[in-house]
Amino acid sequence: MTAIKNGIQSVTGFFSTRPGKIAFYVVLALFTLLMPVYFQSVGNAFMVRIFALVGIYVLLALGLNIVVGYAGLLNLGYIAFYAVGAYAGMNLGFLMQELLMGLGFLGEKPENWSYWALLPFAAVPGAVAGIMIGGPVLRLRGDYLAIVTLGFGEIVRIAITNNIGGITNGASGLPAIGQRVAPVAGQEWARLNLSSGNFIFSKDLYWYYIIVALVLFAVLVITRLDNSRLGRAWVAMREDEVAAASVGVNILTTKLWAFALGAAWGGIAGHTYAYWVGFISPESFNFMESVLVVCMVVLGGMGSIPGTILGAVIITAAPEVIRAMAASPAFSGILTAEQASLVGDYRFLIFGGLMVVMMAIRPQGILPSKRRARELHPVDEKVLAQENQQLWEAEHKHNTDSDIL
Amino acid sequence: MSVAKSKRLFAVIAMLTMLAMVVTACGGDNGADNGDGATGDLVEVKIGVSSPFTGDVAALGLGIRNGAQLAIEEVAPELEELGISLSMLAVDDAADPRTGVNAANQMVSDSAVVGIVGHLNSGVSIPASEVYNQAGVVQVSPASTNPALTLQGFENVFRVCTIDTVQGSFAAEYAYDELGLMSVAVIDDSTAYGEGLAAEFAAAFEAKGGEVVSTDKIQVKDVDFTALVTKINGASPDFIYFGGMYTEGALISKQAKEAGFEGPLMGGDGLYTQQFVDIAGAANAEGDFATSIGLPLSEQPKGQEFQAMFEERFPGETIEAYDTYGYDAAMVIIEAIKAVAADLGVDELTTVAGKQAIIEAVAATDFEGVTGAVAFDENGDTTNKAVTPYVVRDGAWISYTD
Amino acid sequence: MSVEFGIIGQQLVNGLTLGGMYALLALGYTLVYGILLMINFAHAEMFMFGAYVGLFTLQGLSRIEFFTSSGPALLLLYVLTFLIAMVVTGILGVIIERFAYRPLRHAPRLAPLISAIGVSLFLQNAALLWISSRSIPFPVLFEVRTFRIAGANISSMQILIIVTTILLMLVLDTFVSRTRLGRAMRATSQDRDAAGLMGVDINRVIALTFFIGPALGGAAGIFSGMYYGNIKYNMGFIPGIKSFTAAVIGGIGNLRGAMLGGFLLGLLESLAAAYISTGYKDVIAFAILIVVLIFKPGGLLGESVAEKV
Repeated sequence: MTAIKNGIQSVTGFFSTRPGKIAFYVVLALFTLLMPVYFQSVGNAFMVRIFALVGIYVLLALGLNIVVGYAGLLNLGYIAFYAVGAYAGMNLGFLMQELLMGLGFLGEKPENWSYWALLPFAAVPGAVAGIMIGGPVLRLRGDYLAIVTLGFGEIVRIAITNNIGGITNGASGLPAIGQRVAPVAGQEWARLNLSSGNFIFSKDLYWYYIIVALVLFAVLVITRLDNSRLGRAWVAMREDEVAAASVGVNILTTKLWAFALGAAWGGIAGHTYAYWVGFISPESFNFMESVLVVCMVVLGGMGSIPGTILGAVIITAAPEVIRAMAASPAFSGILTAEQASLVGDYRFLIFGGLMVVMMAIRPQGILPSKRRARELHPVDEKVLAQENQQLWEAEHKHNTDSDIL
Repeated sequence: MSVAKSKRLFAVIAMLTMLAMVVTACGGDNGADNGDGATGDLVEVKIGVSSPFTGDVAALGLGIRNGAQLAIEEVAPELEELGISLSMLAVDDAADPRTGVNAANQMVSDSAVVGIVGHLNSGVSIPASEVYNQAGVVQVSPASTNPALTLQGFENVFRVCTIDTVQGSFAAEYAYDELGLMSVAVIDDSTAYGEGLAAEFAAAFEAKGGEVVSTDKIQVKDVDFTALVTKINGASPDFIYFGGMYTEGALISKQAKEAGFEGPLMGGDGLYTQQFVDIAGAANAEGDFATSIGLPLSEQPKGQEFQAMFEERFPGETIEAYDTYGYDAAMVIIEAIKAVAADLGVDELTTVAGKQAIIEAVAATDFEGVTGAVAFDENGDTTNKAVTPYVVRDGAWISYTD
Repeated sequence: MSVEFGIIGQQLVNGLTLGGMYALLALGYTLVYGILLMINFAHAEMFMFGAYVGLFTLQGLSRIEFFTSSGPALLLLYVLTFLIAMVVTGILGVIIERFAYRPLRHAPRLAPLISAIGVSLFLQNAALLWISSRSIPFPVLFEVRTFRIAGANISSMQILIIVTTILLMLVLDTFVSRTRLGRAMRATSQDRDAAGLMGVDINRVIALTFFIGPALGGAAGIFSGMYYGNIKYNMGFIPGIKSFTAAVIGGIGNLRGAMLGGFLLGLLESLAAAYISTGYKDVIAFAILIVVLIFKPGGLLGESVAEKV
């Protein structure tokens, strides 16, 4: 027992040292970048797709984290912004194809550039939707805001189902017959230049790297935001609106910024999803999706970027991984094929149970943000003192080290 | 970058990947065996079956799986003699487009899968068909009736069921000419299937000279239609046409009759299941109509045979609307496998060329299935355009032949 | 004119029936919120669970010949079915609170929400896997008559549901406002810590809340089964969202508000479906919610209190 404990401690100890951290990040980066290459090379396109799907949800969760984690506003209709982004991306994409084909100077198939041409603007429809819903209702307190955003999410979904304005093609989804989403520029080039032997640099792999790049960009932007004046205003507001307002934080615009920026990432994720999958229909944007994104943020740790990413990875991949594990050769001796498919059917049941257990063990999330962890345990003086001690030690460690040396 | 250099790069990448796998202790956790696909002397060949096994329309999806399973188990011994070990890879699509696309990728990732029986919903089949097209694997849908599916220009996409246009206009003609019903309230369930069917019906019914007094949309999973049927009652049309599945259709029938509506409810193949009568209640469902593709089981050439087989293999289960289509769809692929095995040899079956040959063999299909003669036109639609009207009498669907 | 009038009347009754079920379910949301300030997402599954327990009880008891032999015996059968289903669902509620929520009582505010979603997923899939993925017909053992009142067709089932719903609410209202336990509940919802100091057993009050809410939700589930004639593993989801909306419209935490909100939402939905658009009826319901909250941020009967006092 002690041996195991010591072993674990030495491992965690290693990862908290500087070279350990670097090693951890290098392994993580290699895993993220190369795992899909491995799966593709063994012809397992399914896993590549799961990786890309996880990436899309990471983007969504990071966006929602701005609203829920930083600004403390519970949004239960976040998927609406994702939907707005997806539908706007598709429809504008068809226009953009026409336009680019008219211009015709972007190479052989100019229409292929519509995804890239729209990417800088992909955030705009989401942000506009965010401001439209946010404006009138931000005065509401906590849970009332939650239900209003829930209502908004449903309104968007139903409007899409009813083919509002004749642009969503109702339940049949986009593209409608006669329309087509052009493959994205660069894909063909990547396939020709990066494929080797049996390995094909597939469409899914190409999209996976686009999504990874977007996630990295999102992490960069959001970290900068968190440390900005606006980020501090969010924290102040989340802690105490009245106090924040009295020291000069404009509550309404601060909330509106959180809503708009969060929604903007939803829009980007939606635009990318639409082009990647090449087909969107209202079923993909239901209430349960919104709930799952909230779960990702809370399970991972509100206000913490690594936590949010981890939450998204776990929640998106868990049901699929449970299913795949049961079917994998490792279990083939233990489970019959029938039992394995049964486990597949039980995946959501197991998943639901795991959520309860996770929350009971770590209510603050798996990787909580340090700042929030302290705020959330105001009663727990002991923990607070301990954490302060740790922080103090961490900050002064460098000095003591040099003293000894 | 030179070729040699890029090869070296990939060797490095592969090595690092292996390392990453060891470090994270993550095996290739998807059950894709990408090996040579041979077990003993037999060549392992799989048919993928994907339809909803969970969720609202699981009854129909499981029926498809049952049908396909019957076909595969029936021919397995025969194929074993040819040196083929045939099995089924069944993956749930939960009637959801995204899960369906994942399921499609999961199936085509397994190189032993040479053909797909799926999906139930047109909304799932359409996005999934692109995956099959890219992978060069044949797809035979037993139940996706939206015309758009086969109009995408994919040579690998087929279906053994009739399209909505045929069913919708048949129902309109039938109601107007045969049943003498002049006015209708049209409802659809806001799905690709229901919307397409209802629109097709309404257009055909108006073209005939009938009157469409109202068109409404409902949402799947809704249960309260009392307000809607009360409104329809006020306009007193001769009957209600519903484009959608039995889950909602049965409730509309029940609530309409209880609110005093006297005409029948009519719908497409989505209503043609005993569940419809059970949910609506026999008294309420009495006199309701449904059109379904193909001939009734009792009149199908091999209907009795199928029923006997089904009851032996799945005692206690009922035959749902698409079971026979699932069976025929699997048979189409099996026939193609046999043809290709004879032409190119069993070892070629799971190669790219073999899968392409299977697509071509499916296109040339011509055999007598349970649902009738199975052959495909240039789009991949079945040439069997038979539609049968059914009516509820004494708590059960019977073919309306009087 | 009279036909039109009759149809409006019928629509109102349709709306009240639907609203009655919403109101019963909304009470559970509002009770829990009032005391723990949490949105109990798993409450929707109580609706489903109650309906299944009701179905099995009804099937089991109706095998005993006595219960189907005469009118009063049949009535007894239904009363027993309701009682058993309500008690069993209530016990499930208490168990869920004990194991899923109590460990989280001092956790961050959103943690119980996630736990509740987990419970909801678990229960829904349990029903799907262990009972059936299909709709199960819910038998009605008595004859449903349709009365024609002033041009409106009103079924005896609708009258039964509306009347029983109102009765259950009156009982709850009396319980909360007149009894000692009710007073303890009110005290706990006002200030949990202070109530504890005054000698109220907080855990017991919370357990009681988690008994009453699910019991009422379970009753609503049986009504839904009887009224629509079938039940399904995911039947709780939509009524759950709607009832939560109803509770908020009425002012969450306020019992009478939940009742008012439930009936109001049912009526609005029916009228919107009838006179505006079936496709957009939910949009209209939610739009009204937003408008209500903009003008009365605490809901119709709720007090607008500041976030922190």
